[in-house]
Amino acid sequence: MTETAAVQKLREAQRFTLVGKRIQRLDALDKVLGLPLYTSDIVPKDALRVKVVRSSVPHALIKRVNTQAAREMPGVLAVLTAEDIPGINEAYALLPDRPLLASKKVRCHGEAIAVVAAGDSETAEEAADRISVEYERLPIVTSPVEAMKPDSLLVHDSGNVAKYLRVRKGDVKEGFRQADVIIENTYKTQFQDPAPLEPEVGMAWVEKDGSVTCVGSMQTPFYVQTGVAKVLGLSPDKVRVIQATTGGAFGPKSDEMPVDTCAISAMVAQKTGKPAILAYTRDESMIAHTKRHPFVITLKTGAKNDGRLTASEALVVSDTGAYASLGPLVIIRACFHATGPYVIPHVKTDAYCMYTNNTMAGSFRGFGSPQVHFAAESQMDELAKKLDMDPLDLRLKNILRPGMLTATSQLVDEACSLEECTKRATETSGWRKKRLEFSRDRGPFRRGIGIALMYHGNSLGPEGSDYAYVHMLIKPDAKIVVRTALTEYGTGAISGLAQVAAETLGLPIHLFELDRPDTASCQETGPTVASRVMVIGGRAAQIAAQKLKEKLLNVASDSLHCEPSKLTIRDEQVSHVDDPKRAVSFQKVVEECYKRHISLTETGYYVAPKCEFESENSQGTTYLQYTYGAVVAEVQVDMELGVVKPAKITAAYDAGRAINPLSVEGQIEGGTIQGLGYGLTEQLVHLGGMVANPTLGDYYIPTSLDIPEIQTIIVEYPGAIGPFGAKAMGEPPVDLPAAALANAVAQTIGSRIFDLPITAEKVLFAMKRKR
Amino acid sequence: MNGKDHALVVESTERLLDVLRDRLDLKGVKEGCGTGDCGTCTVIMDGRLVNSCLVLAVQARDKKITTIEGVGTREKLHPVQKALMKYGAAQCGFCTPAMVLAGKNLVDHNPSPSKEEIKEAISGVLCRCTGYYKIIDAIHDAAKEISEVRS
Repeated sequence: MTETAAVQKLREAQRFTLVGKRIQRLDALDKVLGLPLYTSDIVPKDALRVKVVRSSVPHALIKRVNTQAAREMPGVLAVLTAEDIPGINEAYALLPDRPLLASKKVRCHGEAIAVVAAGDSETAEEAADRISVEYERLPIVTSPVEAMKPDSLLVHDSGNVAKYLRVRKGDVKEGFRQADVIIENTYKTQFQDPAPLEPEVGMAWVEKDGSVTCVGSMQTPFYVQTGVAKVLGLSPDKVRVIQATTGGAFGPKSDEMPVDTCAISAMVAQKTGKPAILAYTRDESMIAHTKRHPFVITLKTGAKNDGRLTASEALVVSDTGAYASLGPLVIIRACFHATGPYVIPHVKTDAYCMYTNNTMAGSFRGFGSPQVHFAAESQMDELAKKLDMDPLDLRLKNILRPGMLTATSQLVDEACSLEECTKRATETSGWRKKRLEFSRDRGPFRRGIGIALMYHGNSLGPEGSDYAYVHMLIKPDAKIVVRTALTEYGTGAISGLAQVAAETLGLPIHLFELDRPDTASCQETGPTVASRVMVIGGRAAQIAAQKLKEKLLNVASDSLHCEPSKLTIRDEQVSHVDDPKRAVSFQKVVEECYKRHISLTETGYYVAPKCEFESENSQGTTYLQYTYGAVVAEVQVDMELGVVKPAKITAAYDAGRAINPLSVEGQIEGGTIQGLGYGLTEQLVHLGGMVANPTLGDYYIPTSLDIPEIQTIIVEYPGAIGPFGAKAMGEPPVDLPAAALANAVAQTIGSRIFDLPITAEKVLFAMKRKR
Repeated sequence: MNGKDHALVVESTERLLDVLRDRLDLKGVKEGCGTGDCGTCTVIMDGRLVNSCLVLAVQARDKKITTIEGVGTREKLHPVQKALMKYGAAQCGFCTPAMVLAGKNLVDHNPSPSKEEIKEAISGVLCRCTGYYKIIDAIHDAAKEISEVRS
């Protein structure tokens, strides 16, 4: 055990009643009964169905949009193009690049050009088919590396670079001079589709006062409010946005698509006076929404003969497609994590987010981290091979430990558990024994075992100002309502906020209720992204609960005739700490508060400290705390057919404090399988800029028959920021599986595959290359 | 339909999915793709799982159909539902109705399924949140509970 005394002390100092308990989520009962109402479940009978006409070419000037035939069709109630937009025709998140409806030029497959609405889907679909768009085709650039060349065609007049940043630490030339061994490789990753099971959907209607209400599947209602208001030419307070139950998100529902679905529905509603709903079909969703960025990563790594790393030089290039979405932020995270979780004295990283004529990439769980970890961890194994060292020994020689410096020269704090995660994962999986045993396999089916390590900067860090509001009120019936514009879309994190509040208040979880996120009743609270609900929102929940607790104890102190500081809340009683029989029920205290007109409504506001770093060379504190993890993957490879069968995953993650271990395991297991798909089967193929496989029949997300045995290990080294030490656990589990699988396959076949996904075809080619 | 007879005149082109959702107001049946790939629209028809997006409403004539609305209530949950809650096996909830039905249909036919049989039984329903582990464990647990009650 490498646990420090300080960590142990903190651990022992805290005794919890609810934190760390495997409790059922507050939405569990409704969900197993099929009761939650998703957007499509609450469509009014008179609502119009909206269909979007999208570009069928990857790059072209629009010469003419002929809507006549659609307008003349019986039953069609609205046909809209860019000209009909009442406000500003913009739907971008960061860089002013994307119109809601294209009018002059399209830059990728699936760009929205026109909108039709009718009383039923069939009519709307047929009308959409009758709209013809005349194009003048333009040449395309579909490789981000090609797009960097000075003579490349420009996707936007402003140039093809959507964002550039760099890391400079030490003197990389000196670092390579000191190296005994230097290796250089290029790694490539693919478009991965997030594929939430509920495709994007938004609905809108106009209120009697002319204001607009939108309901939709989304992560961040206030982004949608701003976006819709801009398109409609209304002030944001005239647009109310409510998040319906959301059937998975994984990133794209925080980006631009919820703005599109709600703004387009709202335009139709304004034009016709009727409620309108735009529900993407699956293929429309897969073409239009943001996906995981493909990356091309060239890594040059230097090390001494004993394995100590001396230098890393990286060129990290991402393909953000025709529009940036959150690509400029994704590249920051990728750039800062590009070396992997290792101590390297001399670092030079250059990172470019490039425009191409592919479809738009943006937010997706992991946010640039899975790509760079695949490259960095493959590179570590290649280096181990070159040095003739065990990959585990090489890693243990170089991993981040307390007191060391990251690539951005951030001092690693005592909450760094990478060594323990590594030990737990390798000891539990039997790494050393299996590594040796599997290397002796002969015959048509051979086994391999691979390892990968990670660190994941928590919450927004350099990506934006990091704050949260959580509102809480106690009703006369002594039920506590938690209300926030942070959203639930599957993770259970909002239920976790209630758990944090319940712990703080000393009350049981069954008294808590979750309210629907609604811009009309919540403060703007930043985006629900970056696994930040528990880390940042949890702190706000703690603050709100603490404020309520003080009020309750104050009132109870009068009836119990003692100082509030002598009181505690336990078993739905407010009682004296020294004499538990001196007590009054929680219900009675609430009644007393109402009788005395003491408000039991409170808001918790938490703003995280700013990350201070020098931006020219990216040196300093880039994230406030880190999640660490280690994954060991075992595979079996069919040496004749090249088919890789994942056999077992052992995953150890540092959750800081697992508020609800059941939810943490759920995140680890789900993220692992999403990462496994990324490693082995998932690829949204673009052919000449056109998406070739936008169906769940042609795009393979893992089924229940594709999953390996799994062993999850939760390590707890409390972090500095999250409530009770909680660290981000939503995204990190997707970072490593592909890398660990790639290393396991490389051991098995004795040859490396440098690009994801690892298909049977590539395995056969790699084996051939070796021979 | 969930133990009740319904007389409906349907178009020859109407999908069972739309009849269930729009005409019988059974909103627990979800549409995730419309092409039979994701399985979120799964219902039980005469003891077999079907994708209701691929079944024409007319094909459901004289058939016994069970949707999530016909399985368990707040007061009396089906053991599969109870176990899914206990294991934290519902995350976004969109595949959950289909998973409940797949689990229920399995234990109706096979009171003590192995984990491999459970994987097979739910393999027509995609889940993007859980990685399936907790769903499999929950159905396994539910089957054991049902067997114990029976014996």
